[in-house]
Amino acid sequence: MRIKVMKFGGTSVATPEARMQSAMRVISAKDQGFRPVVVVSAIGRKGAPYATDTLINLLNEIDPNVDPDPRELDLLVACGEILSAVVFTHTLKTLGHSAMAFRGGQAGIRTDGVYGNARIVSINPVALLKSIGGGHIPVVCGFQGVFVDGPGMPGGELTTLGRGGSDTTGAALGAALKAEAVEIFTDVDGVKTADPDAVRNAPTLRTVTYDEVAEIAHLGAKVVHPRAAEIAMMYGIPLWVKNTFSDDEGTQIVPKSEFPGRRVTGVTHTGKLVYLQFDLSGAASEQERVMLETRIYETMARYDVNLFMLDMSPSSTGFAVPRDQYPIVENVLDGLVIPVGGNERRVYLFQVGRNASREVETQAALLGSLGEVRRVPAELTEGCTMVSLVGHEYMQQPGVFYNVMHALAEAQIQVLQTSDSDYSLSVLVTESESLRAVRLLHERFGLSEVR
Amino acid sequence: MNVANLSPLQHQETEFEKRRGISRVEIRYGFAQVHITNLEGEIQAARLRVLKAVNEAGISVDFLKLTPTGLSFLVTNNCADGVAMAIQPVATDSSIRPERAIVLVHAVNIRDEEGLIGHIVREVIETGTTIDHIGDMHDRLLMIVSAKDAPRLEKLLTEKLLAGQE
Repeated sequence: MRIKVMKFGGTSVATPEARMQSAMRVISAKDQGFRPVVVVSAIGRKGAPYATDTLINLLNEIDPNVDPDPRELDLLVACGEILSAVVFTHTLKTLGHSAMAFRGGQAGIRTDGVYGNARIVSINPVALLKSIGGGHIPVVCGFQGVFVDGPGMPGGELTTLGRGGSDTTGAALGAALKAEAVEIFTDVDGVKTADPDAVRNAPTLRTVTYDEVAEIAHLGAKVVHPRAAEIAMMYGIPLWVKNTFSDDEGTQIVPKSEFPGRRVTGVTHTGKLVYLQFDLSGAASEQERVMLETRIYETMARYDVNLFMLDMSPSSTGFAVPRDQYPIVENVLDGLVIPVGGNERRVYLFQVGRNASREVETQAALLGSLGEVRRVPAELTEGCTMVSLVGHEYMQQPGVFYNVMHALAEAQIQVLQTSDSDYSLSVLVTESESLRAVRLLHERFGLSEVR
Repeated sequence: MNVANLSPLQHQETEFEKRRGISRVEIRYGFAQVHITNLEGEIQAARLRVLKAVNEAGISVDFLKLTPTGLSFLVTNNCADGVAMAIQPVATDSSIRPERAIVLVHAVNIRDEEGLIGHIVREVIETGTTIDHIGDMHDRLLMIVSAKDAPRLEKLLTEKLLAGQE
């Protein structure tokens, strides 16, 4: 049985016209001898009447100061995909093709029990295979599954898969059904060398490896989610990214063995970040420097802050945090007092930002009478973005760092920090310079010519 | 295949996504860490002079990190002498620590797992190991330590981090 999983994103099911075009692609696959299995996202993107954020707003409108319960939130947002699946199923029926809508749980998708960010632990595709065997086209809700807490538990808890959930559903179903291909349909022609908002004529890559696409997706490209690429890679499922609204051939994602050679794949940008660099040069001893470092990271862990682009040197340590988490960091670190203990009459006082807040000055005045107060200043850069060069067998070449830093320095773009991996090299720059940095690197590495 | 007669229990289930949290600790040996401080003049231009010198020597660098007065990076042990010669004219205050190892703590989507990086770093610092430098990728945290300390750190981390998840 030649099964093809076809996943349609929000814009591909947003309007009756878009749904008709998507449905015609499904019918065309059927006509070619495939047994299509459809996965759908919620209808429309941000702001649309049934989009995920619109549903969340229903709760926020009641009282924005009360956080919704994650369990109830999952039940609510899953409605977006349920509605979409039913509407798409009906669209196929009106075109004369029998179809059946499935919730994630009905499709056999089991997850761990983390509401809002669940991971798929197993899929039992029997219901889908029965549906296919009965001549139907299954239409599965993306982004959701069910958590069953042990045998004998009735029902199970609906969970959602978090970011990229519908892509993940598509790839996982492809693996479970041993599909001949998984096609991710979106509103762009495939995987591009850069975000078209930054580089208008960024070319579409015809072939990328699973590793490349996982890396560019992790680093900001929105075209396919890395979780989906990882599952496809693990199970060797041929994965395609295509445009619902054009006949472009799209991008095929292949194993590394099918793409020998070396190249720069693309430039990405991601993240609204805040960068903090702590000056630890005022520590009285190595032991006290280590104590300060420990306290910083312990505090970040205790308050569940996500850290990016870490650095550590004998006199400093630093990291970037998501902008929405920065208020937590400021709240817990600015004015934090750490006594040395023992016989020492010395305390350390953290100060976030160049100018001390009133709280820090008050603390300093109060503590001054008790002993020596040493400040631990943290230089603060708000509004940062991570810009990354992604490559295949390329990053180990001499001069890659130099070429990146040189291109940015020539354009007077300040690099705050860097990080690198086997597949990428990232620089942290101010948000206002990020698109210029993307364009510069795109040009410097000749990406307009890439195919 | 006739699926009509299959019950869910008869059908083999498939495991999918990588398990959340720390999956393994790995060590890579054979590196030297170059640490350059107190660069003179405009810092970005001064860093660039260092990278240019290393590039012209045909040496590949990894793990580049910017520090307030300089930069640091890794080269393979066999490039340590070459890099020392290359940077001599452009960096007066430098040190090269041979026999370094990279300790990699693997965890899927580590940057999105709230507080996880902070937790790992705190655990490492508490073992008393000196971290020469630290970095992160989407699926791992990387720490540069002395090759001599690496096996002990691997053992401690495996005990503390992996055992704690079971």
